[in-house]
Amino acid sequence: MTHPPRLATRLFTRRFLGVGLAMGLLLWISITASPAWAGSRLLGTGGVTQIEGAAGGGLSPWGVLAGSASEGEWAITASRSEARLDDYRLAVSGVALNWQDRLEVSFARQRLGLDTLGGELQQDIHGVKLRLVGDVLYHPWGVWSLGVQHKRLDDGSLPRAVGAESTQGNDIYLSGSKLLFDAVAGRNLLVNLTLRSTRANQGGLLGFGGDVKDSRSLVAEGSVGLFLTPNWVVGMEYRQKPDNLGFAHEDDWQDLYTAYFFNKHVSLTGAWLDLGSIAGLGQQRGGYLSLQVAY
Amino acid sequence: MSLVHRLVVLVLLALLLGGCMQRPASPTPTPTLYAQLGGEEGVAAIVEDFTYRLAGDDEIVVFFANSNIDRFVASLEEQICHLSDGPCVYSGPPMDRAHQHMGMTDAHFNAVVEHMQQTLIDQGIPPGPRNQLLGRLARLHGDIMSLQ
Repeated sequence: MTHPPRLATRLFTRRFLGVGLAMGLLLWISITASPAWAGSRLLGTGGVTQIEGAAGGGLSPWGVLAGSASEGEWAITASRSEARLDDYRLAVSGVALNWQDRLEVSFARQRLGLDTLGGELQQDIHGVKLRLVGDVLYHPWGVWSLGVQHKRLDDGSLPRAVGAESTQGNDIYLSGSKLLFDAVAGRNLLVNLTLRSTRANQGGLLGFGGDVKDSRSLVAEGSVGLFLTPNWVVGMEYRQKPDNLGFAHEDDWQDLYTAYFFNKHVSLTGAWLDLGSIAGLGQQRGGYLSLQVAY
Repeated sequence: MSLVHRLVVLVLLALLLGGCMQRPASPTPTPTLYAQLGGEEGVAAIVEDFTYRLAGDDEIVVFFANSNIDRFVASLEEQICHLSDGPCVYSGPPMDRAHQHMGMTDAHFNAVVEHMQQTLIDQGIPPGPRNQLLGRLARLHGDIMSLQ
């Protein structure tokens, strides 16, 4: 190399290395951490972190609450998720707190890079999920929770320009999850159903309500996951969506996913997404990776 | 039909086939869960291993302070035999009265389930019978926790 790297680049590289090392160290500690640091709920029963910050799969919330906290216990989870689609990239950072497996409070920041259209959209999501009744393993009807997600766009000028009525909105959802023991080839099958009332366009990233429809829509979301081993689940998700904006058609979302729980502290999720048409750009497909650390 | 659609259909087919393969092709009777757990000998080994794990767990062993361990072991063997369609009838006290006022929380219950799951894995019980037994034991949760 003939030119020495610029100071800014060197500083950035060093900072990047530092953050990388710290993350690596945290991950190593988490993978080797004593199980005494974890809650008592069984491995996998807290799901992973879905893109809006709630405990769930990738796209849809589940009835379970984050982490492995049970009666008399607390849990905290932190996650980072990235999706790369044909014309977009989504990055989500999330944290969630679980109090006694009764109440989950979560926060997520979504950043959608508009690789083809140019620019970026950012959204903050404050979430609360209350476990109403049941347990995913022990109750004959599974576990049922009621959740609210308050979503607020950072800069709503683009969503408004394409016809969105508002730049913030509240999703309300009822979610149920049940593990069916010995369901398929001796393995346990996790079944999730979510009913959501929402005005959000593309999850809120394109605003709320629109020129075609401004009122709330009731949409259904569902997923199944087969635990091949107690640590490893493979499945699929489907998320129905409203279609409020006249300028572009909005499709339902779906994915095939797999999640590996190294222990109660670390899980890694990968998925193959098919998010349909987004803001006029058709057939948005791509990969998804999500890392969660829990205590 | 998109690639993802095709994959979804494929996964569904695989799940279905997996489910079908569980059923025997010929009319030979499926062995009972009890037999798949190893019969009398297998269940005794499971209960012994499980009891040692409970004894080694400081959070759990306190519940056995006033228990006759030999009677507990015999009673649990009989109950698992009964639950797994073996040749026994459980003659012990009902689950709600057996655990009443012990002050057990869901956290204790989870810990015990985890011990049982690990016992079954370490005793080499295959996933099918293991998950089937865990499913049948999980149904006891309501009764066990009803009089706490």
